Amino acid sequence: MLVDAQDAFANDTLDELVLRTQLGDQVAFAALYEQCHRRVYALCLRLLADQAHAEDACQEVFVQLWHKISQFNGQSRFTTWLHSVTSNIAISYLRKHKNWLHKVVSFENSGMDEAGIALCGDLNGLDKLILRLPERARLVFVLHAVEGYRHEEIAAMLSMAVGSSKSHYHRAKKLLREWYEND
Amino acid sequence: MTKPNFDEFLANNLDQANNPEHMPTPQKPLWSGVEKAINSEFQSQTDLANPSINGSRWRQLSAIAASTIIGMCAVYFSMQLPEQSPVVQMSTYFEQQKQTLLVQYSTQPALTTDWQVQLQELEQAEQAIKQALESDPDNAALLQMLAQVYQQQLDLINRVHQPRWQQI
Repeated sequence: MLVDAQDAFANDTLDELVLRTQLGDQVAFAALYEQCHRRVYALCLRLLADQAHAEDACQEVFVQLWHKISQFNGQSRFTTWLHSVTSNIAISYLRKHKNWLHKVVSFENSGMDEAGIALCGDLNGLDKLILRLPERARLVFVLHAVEGYRHEEIAAMLSMAVGSSKSHYHRAKKLLREWYEND
Repeated sequence: MTKPNFDEFLANNLDQANNPEHMPTPQKPLWSGVEKAINSEFQSQTDLANPSINGSRWRQLSAIAASTIIGMCAVYFSMQLPEQSPVVQMSTYFEQQKQTLLVQYSTQPALTTDWQVQLQELEQAEQAIKQALESDPDNAALLQMLAQVYQQQLDLINRVHQPRWQQI
């Protein structure tokens, strides 16, 4: 199906694929997946810092996308809307799969270790460092610095105070600087 | 060649962060799982009309409700009994969750035959960490390890009994 989709829609733009998918064309949706899955997976990996969870969440994004694509009204770029859908699904995935024990005893999940990062394939320098960040600092850094959300928006998304979002961002940047300079 | 300073490194990498050529790629093909999930919808709608499957759904819903109530009780009691150590709170809550899952899946066949051996190995790890915590009860690293081993046990029980569509 995916190979057929690549051939059939090789010259179509993203907007055309979106339109066809909104009409229920699954072959167009496969081509849309082919064009967009890397950016969805990348965002999931940066937010979740776990390869297997990122793969699961990426699939969840596309399954929900199939159902929700009719809600895309073209007022923003499709990729902007897709990133917003992906961020929300990844954050909700994180909450859903958050260790239930963390609800009883408060821990902050640390970032990925070197071995986990090595398993993620060929990552650029910043991605390698982002995955090492502790959870809250990582989420805020990715949403603010990479995705361009304002701290007010991040605070609402992550149910935290605006000041906490800023403080996590500075903490993330400090850690990244430290790791980069000591590398 | 000299290493760029951190601000230059950050600016360059952030510029490339949303360029698909510089993005990480999944290590396994994911489309087939998406396709199966989408196409299984029609099957699910047919299943809703089937009374025997409806019965199974009710059992599942009951199990979820029971698990939620147990979870809420555990949180309530943990708030009522602040003198309990984190290990006791975790262990009590975990045991309830584990027993709920084992009861819920008792009539379902497991996907693998060796899952109980794997569970025993995790239980041995749990005991070893608990022993270490006896001499250092507030050690955050040990508590986190215990939490992870507990979570791995629940994940294992869930995984062998309830394969997700992603793993098909």
